[in-house]
Amino acid sequence: MGALDWLIIFLVLLAVAAAAFVVIRRRRRGGGVFATRGKP
Amino acid sequence: MKLLMTASQINGLPVVTVHGGDDVAEVRDVIYNPEAGRLVGLTLNKRGFFSGRSREVLPAEAIHAIGRDAVMIADESSLVAPADAPDDVGHPATDRNVIGNDVLTEGGTSLGVVRDLALLVGSAGEVVGYQIEKPAGGHGYIPLPAQLAVSGAALVVPDVTQEFIRDDLVGLGAAVDDFRARLGMQ
Repeated sequence: MGALDWLIIFLVLLAVAAAAFVVIRRRRRGGGVFATRGKP
Repeated sequence: MKLLMTASQINGLPVVTVHGGDDVAEVRDVIYNPEAGRLVGLTLNKRGFFSGRSREVLPAEAIHAIGRDAVMIADESSLVAPADAPDDVGHPATDRNVIGNDVLTEGGTSLGVVRDLALLVGSAGEVVGYQIEKPAGGHGYIPLPAQLAVSGAALVVPDVTQEFIRDDLVGLGAAVDDFRARLGMQ
């Protein structure tokens, strides 16, 4: 494989890693403000 | 010491033990009781960059103090399993996130959309208002009555709330007592 192929593979892996990082951070962060259930 | 903070300022704070200074968790979500107008507990994340949600929760009764930079607890035994916590904290109503809810007056005027919750913290947490995004754009703070029923996608507040919209937390702090006194007179 040529240098361009390796570059594309590298960029794809980088994009996957960045997406996984964002998902993990979002799931971990939380940040909800939950009201308790009112009286029925 | 009393301090006005928003829920988004509390989310992400480290949970630190008074006895030992250990950093044991991080605040994930804020749970409050709108009818009692008070904080009832916090859900937690484990510490560490990639670590996830903690199974343990922190009921309000176990909080020693909430400060600008940390939530203080006596020791690690303050963190309890969901089964041992009050049900509202152990199993929070995740479908009742008030962020994004409309705020309507009893007269049918929209004051905006909830963007954050304002709390008077210290040794306990009293809910005093909401940060809203106004329909015309921009942010403001509205005070809340001591008790407020939240049962649907919209929060219904007294008509007089319109007169007490403030631009910042400091203004809200000054407006809460006047607002509640005004409601008491009506």
